[in-house]
Amino acid sequence: MKKVLTTCPYCGTGCMFYLVVDDDGTLVGVEPSNEHVVAKGQLCVKGWNAYHFVNHPDRLTQPMIRRNGKMEPASWDEALNLVVSKFKETQAKHGNDSVAFFSSAKTTNEENYLMMKLARAVFKTNNVDHCARLCHSSTVLGLAATFGSGAMTNSISCMEQADCILVTGSNTTEQHPLIGSRIIENVTNNGAKLIVADNRKIRLARLADIHVRWKNGTDVAFLNGIMNVIISEGLEDKEFIKTRTENYEELKKIIADYPPERAAEICGITPKEIVDVARMFAAADKAMIVYSMGITQHTHGVDNVKSCANLAMLTGNIGLPGTGVNPLRGQNNVQGACDMGALNGVFSGYQKVVDPTTREKFEKAWSVENLPAEPGLTITTAIDAAAEGKLKALYIMGENPMMSDPDQNHVREAMEKLEFIVVQDIFPTPTSEYADVILPAASYAEKNGTFTSTERRVQPVRKAIEPVGQSRTDWEILCDVAQRAGYDGMKYNSASEIMDEVATVTPIYGGVSYERIDQVGLQWPCLDKDHPGTPVLHSGKFARGLGMFSPAAYLPSKELPDEQYPFVLSTGRCYFHFHTGTMTRRSQMLDREERFPYVEISIEDAKELGIYDRAWIYVATRRGEVKVMAHVTDVAKKGVLFMPFHFEEGPANLLTINALDPIAKIPEYKVCAAKIRSAE
Amino acid sequence: MKILTEKNLKTFLKSAEADYNVRVPINLHDGTRALGKIDEGSLAIAGGVIPQKITNVFFPQMETILTIDSEKVELPKPSVKPLLVIGFTAQDADCLEFIDRFYSEDYRDDIYFNKRDGAVIVCVSGRCGNDGEFLKIAGEKCDLELICDGQNYLLAAYTDAGKALAENADGANADDSVIQQLQKESDSLPADDLELIQAASKLLLEEKVPEEFWATISDRCIACTSCNLVCPTCTCFDIFDRKTDSKVQRWRMWDSCQLDGFMREASGHNPMGKENIRTRRRIHHKLAADVTRWGQLTCMLCGRCDDVCPTGIGIKAVCREMVDKYGSA
Amino acid sequence: MCNSVVPKTNAHECDGKLYLPFQCKIESVQELTRTEKLFRLSRKDGKPFGHKPGQFMQVSITGIGEAPISVSSSPTRGDYLELGVRKAGTLTNAMHELKSGDEIGLRGPFGTFFDTESMKGKDLLLISGGCGLAPMRALIQYVEDCRKDFGNVTILYGAKSPADVLYQSELEQWQNSDKLSCQVTVDTVSSGTCWDSNVGLITKLIPPLDINADKTVAVIVGPPIMYKFVTLELYPKGLSDKDIIVSLERYMKCGVGKCGHCTIDHLYCCTDGPVFTLDQVASLKGAI
Repeated sequence: MKKVLTTCPYCGTGCMFYLVVDDDGTLVGVEPSNEHVVAKGQLCVKGWNAYHFVNHPDRLTQPMIRRNGKMEPASWDEALNLVVSKFKETQAKHGNDSVAFFSSAKTTNEENYLMMKLARAVFKTNNVDHCARLCHSSTVLGLAATFGSGAMTNSISCMEQADCILVTGSNTTEQHPLIGSRIIENVTNNGAKLIVADNRKIRLARLADIHVRWKNGTDVAFLNGIMNVIISEGLEDKEFIKTRTENYEELKKIIADYPPERAAEICGITPKEIVDVARMFAAADKAMIVYSMGITQHTHGVDNVKSCANLAMLTGNIGLPGTGVNPLRGQNNVQGACDMGALNGVFSGYQKVVDPTTREKFEKAWSVENLPAEPGLTITTAIDAAAEGKLKALYIMGENPMMSDPDQNHVREAMEKLEFIVVQDIFPTPTSEYADVILPAASYAEKNGTFTSTERRVQPVRKAIEPVGQSRTDWEILCDVAQRAGYDGMKYNSASEIMDEVATVTPIYGGVSYERIDQVGLQWPCLDKDHPGTPVLHSGKFARGLGMFSPAAYLPSKELPDEQYPFVLSTGRCYFHFHTGTMTRRSQMLDREERFPYVEISIEDAKELGIYDRAWIYVATRRGEVKVMAHVTDVAKKGVLFMPFHFEEGPANLLTINALDPIAKIPEYKVCAAKIRSAE
Repeated sequence: MKILTEKNLKTFLKSAEADYNVRVPINLHDGTRALGKIDEGSLAIAGGVIPQKITNVFFPQMETILTIDSEKVELPKPSVKPLLVIGFTAQDADCLEFIDRFYSEDYRDDIYFNKRDGAVIVCVSGRCGNDGEFLKIAGEKCDLELICDGQNYLLAAYTDAGKALAENADGANADDSVIQQLQKESDSLPADDLELIQAASKLLLEEKVPEEFWATISDRCIACTSCNLVCPTCTCFDIFDRKTDSKVQRWRMWDSCQLDGFMREASGHNPMGKENIRTRRRIHHKLAADVTRWGQLTCMLCGRCDDVCPTGIGIKAVCREMVDKYGSA
Repeated sequence: MCNSVVPKTNAHECDGKLYLPFQCKIESVQELTRTEKLFRLSRKDGKPFGHKPGQFMQVSITGIGEAPISVSSSPTRGDYLELGVRKAGTLTNAMHELKSGDEIGLRGPFGTFFDTESMKGKDLLLISGGCGLAPMRALIQYVEDCRKDFGNVTILYGAKSPADVLYQSELEQWQNSDKLSCQVTVDTVSSGTCWDSNVGLITKLIPPLDINADKTVAVIVGPPIMYKFVTLELYPKGLSDKDIIVSLERYMKCGVGKCGHCTIDHLYCCTDGPVFTLDQVASLKGAI
C-alpha cells in the first residue's frame, strides 16, 4: 500500500489528495490531504472517486493504425513514423497551415508547453489551441482588455473573506464544490451577503439573499442596469475610478441607456430586483464577483466578461483580499494550458506571436528560425476550416471535439473530410472513431508534471503507478514525434526539466520549479526564485497600468425561441460527470448517479406537456434531435431546458448552435431554441 | 507496565513486523497523518484521531470479493501475517467493536474477517492529542494500549496477544502512581458531546424532529459523501464487476447513503430520492435506527465527519442545531 | 408433495463464503410479455435450492454484476427454481439475452418468506400488481399444492394493459379452477385490443368481496404505489395491519444484511424482509 500526493484531475479548484495504490499496482482509493491549503482535508464526490477510472478495462493500451478502414494494433515505431510522414506530406502539399494541433486542458503544463512548441517550432504553424476556447476564451480576452491579465484576480481563500458575493453563471457547489462550500460557510457562519444571478435555482440560490432569474443571455443588460443604479445613486467608488481607471466617461454614456426599468424589461425581471442587487453589492465593504460559463459561453461572452470587470472597477472591488472578478476555470489544467500558450495567438505566458521581439526570443530559446507570425486557427475555426476542406490533418491530444464542440453534425462532417487524424488519449471516444492513428497515453496517475488551478496555483502531479499496457506519457510521445520530425530541441530526462525551460521563457512562471511547488504550489505571477507568488492580482496597479472601463451594449443571443422552437436550451455539466464523460462515466459511483442523458425541465412545463419525472423525451433544435430522460425539477425555470453534455448516447452538442463570439470565437452553448416531445 | 521512549517504541514496532503486518500513524509527504508502514514516513503516533476512517484497514475503500480467471473462481485469501494496527482512539475502538458485531451477526462477512481475524489492535491515549488534548484511555477494548504521559508511552497489555507482544518491548517499569494519575485524568474528561447526541437520539426516537428540519440541513449539503467515507461505523458498500480479456473481478467499494443513486432501483423507484430524506437517514440511522436494532448509538463521537464536512453539517453540528431547536420541547 | 419437499433451513448455503455464487443451468426460457421472461434453473451440483415462497435470489452474471430477483416457483413443484424477470437494468437486460442451456450464477435463497404455517386454516386474499405476481405465483403454487391447509383462496391481479399480463395461461387456469377464485384487471385497454375481463384499478375489485375478517390473511405484492391504496380498501373489511402481509422491493446488493442498500429505518429488507406483516413496517418512514 503506497500513498502518493498529487493533484485532482477534475475541476479547476485544484485540491490535492493522496492516491492509494495496492501492492499489485492498482489504484484502490483516495485520501484527502489535511495539510493542503485548498483541500483542507476535504474532497468532493469526484475527488473521492478520482482513482476509479484509471484501471478501467477500456483503457487504450496499444498504438493503433487504420488499415483498409479498420483499426489494427501497431508498434510505437510504425505509428509515430506514420504520424510524422503524413504531417510532413500534408504540409508539403498544402502548406504549413494545413495541419492543426489540439492540445488538452486535462494534460500537464509541461505537455501543453510541448504541444505548442511542437506546433510552432517543429511544424511551423500557429494552428494550436485547446478547449479553453470553448469555456473561458472570452474571459482571457475580456479580462486582458480591462485589467491586463485574463485570469481569476483573487484566491479561493478570498471566498471566506468577502462581505458580499455575486455568483452569476456558476453552479459553484456542483462544478467547483469546495469553492461552493467556502461560499456556503461564509454565508452561514459570517452572514456574508449572497446574490445569485442565475436562471436555474441552483443550490446556492436556496441560501441566497437575492436570487435573480433573468432570461438566459441578458447578462449585459442586467449588469448595465446594476451599474446604472450605482451611478445614479452615487454609490460608485469615486476615488478608485479616479486613480486606478480610464475611460469612465464612456462607461457612463453607455450605462445611461440602461435605467433599471429598461434593463429589467430586457431581462424579464422587476426593476426592484436590479435596484436591490445594485445596493447590496455597492454597500459591501468587500464585494466579489464569481462567474463561470453562464457568463462566457455566449456570442456576447467577451461583453459579459467586460461588464463584470466594469462592475468590479466601478465599486473599487479589485486588488484586495475578498474582492475581485473571479472566473472559475472548469478543468484541472485549463488555466495552465492557457498559460503555456496552447492558444492560437500566444506563446507561453501570453506572449503574443505577432510581436517580433517575442518571436525572436523563442527562436533563440528553441534554436529555430522563422516562427510563424500570424495567429492560427482556433478549435472552433479549425473545425470550420476542416469542414470546408481547407484543413487537412489534425493532431488531437486529450480532446473530444465530437462531444465537446457545438453542432455535432458539423463536427462529424469536418472529421470525415479530414485526410488524417491522430488521436492521443487514455480511452476510446467518439472522436477516436475517426482516427487514422490512435496513440495510447498515460493517465494523470501515471506521470509527473504540474497542473495550474483556477487560482493560478501551479501544483505537482505525481506518478503513482506505471503507465498501463504500452501507454506512454503525453510528453514523451510529443518529444518522440519532434525527434522523428528531425528536431533536436525536445529532449528531456524528466518533466521537471521541461518546467525549467518554461521558467526561462515565461516571465509569469519565472520562479516556478519542482522544488518550490513540492507541497502547496505557487500562484503566478512568480517572477523569480525569490518571488513568493501572487495571491491577489492588480493590487495597487493593474497589470495593464490603469483599469480600462469597457462598456458594452446589450445584444440578443443568436437564436431565440419562437413558435416552432418555443424553449430556450442551455447546456452545461452536472455534479457527477466531468466534461465529455470519458473518465467519470467509467467510475462506478459517479456513473451510477447519472447513468442516462437527461434534460432538466420545469415542473410547470412538464405538467402542461404531461411529462413525468424520469420519462424519456425527445429534445430537438434546428440541428437535430436526441432522446433523453426528463428530470422534472424546480431547478429549471419555465420555458428553459438545461442539458448536460456528458453523454455519448444523448449528446447535447448535437443540438447546440455553432454561433461564435466575434472576438473570442467561443460558441453560444447557453442559448438556442428547442422543442420537446414525449418518447414513450 | 513498561514505559517506552519513542525510540524504544519504534524498535518494538519494528520487531513486531516479524509476525505482523504493522500499520502505524505516519506523516505522509505533506505532513498529513495516515496509517502506513513504519518506514513509509516519520512516525506520528501523537496527534489524536487519524483523519481517515481507521476501520479501512479491515474494510478498505475498494477490494476484490471474487476473481474469475479462465473459469476458475478465486476468493480473497487471508494474508499470511495478521495485521497489527496502532492508532485507534478509545472511540475508534468502540467503532471497531460495533462493526465487528455488525459483520459477524446473522451472516458472517468472510471478506471482512479475512483481514480482521487475528489482528491486534493498539490504542493510543493520554497526553498526545491534537493541540494538547487528552485522549481517553481505552482499556480492555483493545489488545494493547500506548498511554502517553506527555513524553513517553506506557505500554498496557490487555489480551493474550497483547501480552505476548508486550514482553518483547524494551523499557523501564512505570510507577503505579503515574498510571493512576493518567486514569484519573481520563475519567474526568467532559462528556458534553455524549450528552448532546444522547439528547438528539432521544428527540429522534420520540419523533420530535419535524420534517422541515432536515431540509434546512440538506440545503447546505453538497453531497461530497465525505461524512460516510470517513465514518468508522459506516459499513455500506456497492458491488461491481470489472471484465478484461483474461479475467473478471468482482469488487466492493464504499458507498454513501447521501447519494441519490444509493437506493434507486432500475425501475426508477427511489425510497430515498430526496435530499432531506437522505440527510435524515445519515443522522437517524446512527442515533435512532441502530439504537432500535442493535441497542446502541453507533456514532462514537470520533469527530471525523465534523472535521471533513466542507459546509459544517457533521453529525455533532446537526445534533447541536437539533437540540437547540427542539430540545426544550 | 406439500409437506415432504419444503426444507426447514433458510440460510444461504455458502460454507462461509458469502459472496460466492453457485452455478446453475438454464433449463428453459419462456417469454411472458415483451419485457418479461421466465427462466427455469437447476443447480449444476444437483443440490436442491432450498427456497420458500417469498424469498429471493441474487442472480450473478460474471462481468455484469448481480441483482436481486424474487423466486416465482414453489418448492412443492420439484427441484427446479423459476425466476420471472423484467428487463429493467443492466443485469436483467443481460439476462434476457441468455438461452436455454446457458449457465448463470446464483446466491441464496435469501430473506423471509410467506409464513404458510401460520396461514394454515385461514382464508387467503392474494393481491398482486405488475411483476408482483412473480413472487405471488410461488405462493399460489404452494397453496394449490397444499390446498387442504387453507380456507377460501381469492387471487386478485392487476396489470397496466392486456399486453402486460403475466402468466396468462396460469391465470386462466386459476380463473377456471373450482378450488380458487381469481380476478384479473387491467388499468387501460387501448382501442382494438381484445380484453373481456375487468378494466380499472385493482382497488376496485376489493369492495365487492365477501371477507371474513376473523380468519382472513391478505398478502400484497406490487409496485410501491399499490400498498397504500390497497390497504385503504382492506381496513373497511375489518382487516388490521397484523392480518396484512406485504413483500417490499428494495435494491439489495448483497442479500445478507451488509451492504445497507435496502434498509427501512432499523430493518434490512433482505434479511428482516422482504416479507413483512404490515404492523412491522407501517409506522416506518418510507416503508410503503
